[in-house]
Amino acid sequence: MKALMLFKQPCWFILASLSLLFSCTATVYADGVVVDKVYHPYVLPNEREVEWRLFSYKESKNNKLAQRFAYGQSLTDTVMLELYLVGERDINDDFSLTSYELEARWMLTEQGEYWADWGLLFEIEKEQKQKNWEVTSGVIVEKEFGRTSLTFNAFIIYEWGNTIVSEFETEFRLQYRYRYLEQLQPAIELYSGENYLGIGPAFMGIQRFAKQKQLKWEVGFITGVDSRSKGHVLRVAIEYEF
Amino acid sequence: MVKILSKGYTVLLLIHLLFLFSFIVEAKRPEYQLALKNHLFYPAQIIIPANKKVKLVIYNHDNSVEEFDSFDLNREKVIFPLQKSIIFIGPLPVGEYHFFGEYHPNSARGKVVVVEIKRNQAVSPHLLNPKQGELHVN
Repeated sequence: MKALMLFKQPCWFILASLSLLFSCTATVYADGVVVDKVYHPYVLPNEREVEWRLFSYKESKNNKLAQRFAYGQSLTDTVMLELYLVGERDINDDFSLTSYELEARWMLTEQGEYWADWGLLFEIEKEQKQKNWEVTSGVIVEKEFGRTSLTFNAFIIYEWGNTIVSEFETEFRLQYRYRYLEQLQPAIELYSGENYLGIGPAFMGIQRFAKQKQLKWEVGFITGVDSRSKGHVLRVAIEYEF
Repeated sequence: MVKILSKGYTVLLLIHLLFLFSFIVEAKRPEYQLALKNHLFYPAQIIIPANKKVKLVIYNHDNSVEEFDSFDLNREKVIFPLQKSIIFIGPLPVGEYHFFGEYHPNSARGKVVVVEIKRNQAVSPHLLNPKQGELHVN
């Protein structure tokens, strides 16, 4: 019972999550940058959205740029489907469509009903030119501590194709957010996977309009923190729900 | 590969245990009823005990959809016409937590008032459950 009480304290839950995250960093092998969005386990019915994400990865002199454009729609009260088009800037500074992706998010528990809120994520991605494939499945957990929320994503990825070695990978993402104002919510984010461990500040917020219409924004600046993880990643996400 | 998988499975096992841990049955939660009529919440003020998770059952008597929204409570929930929805809130510290209907934000407004209720303290049912429409929040 004491252990249960202990886990109600945010610091213990964060420490446990971080130790889990750090213990897993040795299990991953690299193909790219793992910094992306931290997913939340909630789905609303009648929800439709368009989304734009940008990632700028700076390592010494080079700067890699990737953008994602998405359309998403909730299929049921608990399942949301999203289609992504991913574009990247290559070494010749040409920007082109590199892959497309289908993603399903499934809300497993009602928000606030249990000790934590749970969801699942399934994703399939196909690279346009190289005909490489990637299948992801993962768990999304969110726990509320007063005005703060801790979100944890754990993904298992299997990739195969013409130009990559078939392998399993794991990815972990953690976000600790303070719900200061609706329009401004500072957070700390941690990403681990593919020989990468990065941490940095993030800011996000929501601007509501009439009815279900709202604009969500997120900006994060993640810095590699160990010898394998060089450089900085700037991530931006803008989502319009209608 | 085997190493990755075995460590991956360890993580999965831990997540699985955490998942089971989430469903540990807690004591029965106090239930509060809220009705939505003509785009107004009845009652517009609900008083709940501090540091206790409660179940809020909202009946939508209107013929249009509404979305319960509250940044203070960190909850969003769609309530379909002539149906009910359940929202779990808390445990919360003493204070006032405002909510509104996203489709009718000017009329459908209310607040949850969290108060400290000491053990064995007699609380007037009138205080905990005001009559429908008795209070409205502007």
